[in-house]
Amino acid sequence: MTPIPGRVALRLLSLLVPRDRREEWLEEWIGEWTSLRELRREGGAGDYPGEAWFVVGALPHALWIRTEGWTMDGVAQDLKYAWRVLRRSPAFTVVAALTLALGIGANASMFSLVNGLLLRGPSGIRDGDRLVQIARSYDQAPRWDNWSWPASKLIGEASPVFSGVAGFSAGSFLLGRGEDVEALRGEYVSARYFQLLGVTPAAGRLLDERDEVAPGSHPVVVLSHGLWTRRFGGDPRVVGSTIPIGSEPYEVVGVAPVDFLGIDAVNAPPDVWVPAYQRTSSGRLPLFESWGSSWFYLFGRLQDGVSFDAAVAAMDPVTTRLRSAAPENEDIRVLLAPGVGLSPQERAQGKQVTVLLSGIALLVLLLTCANVGNLFLARATDRVSEVGVRQALGAGRNRLVRQLVTESLALALMATVLAVRVVMMGGALLPTLIPWQISVSLAPDARVFTFMAAVGLVAGLLFGVVPSWAIARGDVARVLREGGTTGGRSRTRLRDALVVGQLALSLGLVSGAGLLGRSVLNARSASPGFNPDQVLVGFVNLRATGRYGSVEGDMEGFQTRLVSALEALPGVEAAALAGQAPILGGHARSTVVPLERANEPDAGFEAEYTPVTPGYFAALQIPVLRGRTFRAPAEEPEPVVVVNQALADLFWPGEDAVGKELAQGEGSLRVVGVVADVQMRSLRAPANPGVYYPYHQAPPWYLAIHVRTAGPTRDAMSAVRRAVSDVDPEVPVTGLVDLREGTARSLTETRTFVMVVSTFASLALILSLIGLYGLVSHGVARRAREMGIRMALGAGRGALVRLVLHRAVGLALVGVVAGVLVAVGVGRALRGVLFGIGPSDPLVLGAAAVALTAAAVGAAWVPARRASRVDAMVSLREE
Amino acid sequence: MPRALGITSLQILAAIRDGVSYGLDIVARTGLPSGTVYPTLGRLKKSGLLTSRWEDQRHAEREGRPRRRYYELSGEGARALAEGRARAASALASLDPDVTGQVG
Repeated sequence: MTPIPGRVALRLLSLLVPRDRREEWLEEWIGEWTSLRELRREGGAGDYPGEAWFVVGALPHALWIRTEGWTMDGVAQDLKYAWRVLRRSPAFTVVAALTLALGIGANASMFSLVNGLLLRGPSGIRDGDRLVQIARSYDQAPRWDNWSWPASKLIGEASPVFSGVAGFSAGSFLLGRGEDVEALRGEYVSARYFQLLGVTPAAGRLLDERDEVAPGSHPVVVLSHGLWTRRFGGDPRVVGSTIPIGSEPYEVVGVAPVDFLGIDAVNAPPDVWVPAYQRTSSGRLPLFESWGSSWFYLFGRLQDGVSFDAAVAAMDPVTTRLRSAAPENEDIRVLLAPGVGLSPQERAQGKQVTVLLSGIALLVLLLTCANVGNLFLARATDRVSEVGVRQALGAGRNRLVRQLVTESLALALMATVLAVRVVMMGGALLPTLIPWQISVSLAPDARVFTFMAAVGLVAGLLFGVVPSWAIARGDVARVLREGGTTGGRSRTRLRDALVVGQLALSLGLVSGAGLLGRSVLNARSASPGFNPDQVLVGFVNLRATGRYGSVEGDMEGFQTRLVSALEALPGVEAAALAGQAPILGGHARSTVVPLERANEPDAGFEAEYTPVTPGYFAALQIPVLRGRTFRAPAEEPEPVVVVNQALADLFWPGEDAVGKELAQGEGSLRVVGVVADVQMRSLRAPANPGVYYPYHQAPPWYLAIHVRTAGPTRDAMSAVRRAVSDVDPEVPVTGLVDLREGTARSLTETRTFVMVVSTFASLALILSLIGLYGLVSHGVARRAREMGIRMALGAGRGALVRLVLHRAVGLALVGVVAGVLVAVGVGRALRGVLFGIGPSDPLVLGAAAVALTAAAVGAAWVPARRASRVDAMVSLREE
Repeated sequence: MPRALGITSLQILAAIRDGVSYGLDIVARTGLPSGTVYPTLGRLKKSGLLTSRWEDQRHAEREGRPRRRYYELSGEGARALAEGRARAASALASLDPDVTGQVG
């Protein structure tokens, strides 16, 4: 919690404390909270509670002081009376409780998102707040990256601030043989991984020092609890047995506990853990000796009594030692971040999404409070005479406010209970709101329910206290004299303000929903430089089998056979393999430099690196602008490349790129063609300069299959799978998807925001229209006598309708004007998830404003019509 | 003697017993949530087991921190704590015959 909200929260809570003790209360709480913050900053707050949690305690304290003087009799009486009042008007009670339940539930759902993703961290580990992520960066080029194996060893030895350092590297594995083969996600972990995390096995043992003696000599595996139950039926005898992983038999030594899902929060949880020494080299560099091959994610556990800041300071000598250890480390730097699970960038991104969603949920809660407050006020007007009588009978104002607040709190309590249901239903939806796959649970826990209770309480006070005060302030004598027909000017004004506020908030949400809706439409019709219609894309990882290892000829054979098998399928127009697929994955970049500037230090550029088979450009229908594309391997012995327009413009502006050359080691690569730009990474990012290489000249082990079909892609899906397994039955295809669908799906966060915001917006709109309708019809009812007189004096029906509408339209317009400001704010906040539309698009804003005004006039029209039908004689006679 | 003190009240009295203490310190020593500690302090003060006083402003300024509200055991509070400890010890002893009245 940042300092400002803590102080504001305490000030707000102090309003609950009786005035004569408020100052003292505030001084004690702010004083101690300030000291606590100070302590935390200095890192010496071992036994002390978290700041936010400490501030939460101020609420029970304030309530305790407030209720100190209350006798149990009085409270019981209030509750009984409140129950009676609420039961007497069931419609009001049900509508108000449901409305509030939605508001409270929405907020609690958003909080469980924050809780699961940002506060709670990975499950199943001990003292997660003493863990620290260790990342590699460079002074000249800051980043947050993995380490080489020798560097990880050096950091472990040179850092006494850690009781130990361990790490992991993600990998994909194939389990089983033949038909039974299954692609797994796993991790290569170092010896102390499980020990430092404080994980205890569910069966057998976990990996440790004896599994890190020599590279390649530890075929042992720890299964995740999920895999153990899913694939082996939770049989304890599997421990000690051997299972085939890739091309090698592995001995199962143990099973991880059910709640341990790894510490990488933004990936699917691993199925297996194997020793880091089992990893095999993918490139030319030896994995365990080279300083230049960085593949290992590192974390450490802080030594007892060492604060995070002290550890950061202790990294300077480590940095120095790293720099002198190898020339690659010239300006390397060690960075730390507290906690594991999310990298600082991911944490920031997660924060952005959750802050946005929480903001929207808060808007909805404010709206529901305004709405229920309004209902309360409307009822209050009806109850003015009751209150007046009770005041005349000697009830003090405080006693009356207390009674009314008890009513609102009782209502809030009902709503909170209902909200539990909302949270449970929302829980299933939550993971889809995060733009990544996650391994941490978002299920609500005690913290979420505490939060919910607090929100319920605050909401109850919010919509209860203000109206109660307004009611209790009513002038008794006047009320009794006038027979309860007038509401009092301040009360009417308050109701007007509430309705205006509601309309403004709804306009904000409606226009936000409009912006998001347009974004999704834009994404659907986006043309990212290729034609994604009727294309199937899937991935094959040759390394996972362990059989295509380093024998490149083998790999090439597989690839050639696969392309011909795919091209031979009925209904396939074109088929190709590539190192990466646009938007969907396999992304890679490589530095290129024009031959004529090869000796200049800064002439290179990190361009998209895409090896492709000849059919690639036809399969994706990427326009060829100049020159040609690739021919069959036999006809393409020279080292050649095709570049995209962006690269041509970057290196050779204003010239024809065909015939130019890129430097490659001692030799060069000749540009034979220029193709149109493609958005390789994301629909949001502009196309990068890129280079395409002939597949056979740089065959990758990770293949993206591209198949253009004549008919719908789903007809070809199983045929494609079969074609792959015909070539090699042990190679599974993963992530097979229609490219158009996959591309549209890549804007997940936009799509889910559309869902959330439009749900909230319709809710808001309905609520505010009900509010306006209620206000107008209540006004009409109260002014029935005046209407009667006007009519008796000859006013026409139209004049009466205009009289009523005049005020309603006035309110609506004020609401719309205020709402435009809210809408601009909402648009700004959503900017990150919009696509192809500005945050204050005048068309969307205007349409939302017009629609809201029309709806408001409609809502006022109904009661206005009713006013004009008033029978003059009837309404006058009633007096 | 009114109602016997509960475990929470005793924990809080015990945290103060060496002399004077303030809210945050008691929270840290007992490990109880602040939402329990402060109302209990209020209750104990109301029943006369504790007294409270504000620290001298100049003293706090010298230390460079906000003024603290100190809580102190009254004579009656000290008696209640001793009585509570005895009670807890005998309860503990009846649960586990190996422990002979040793309560920290």
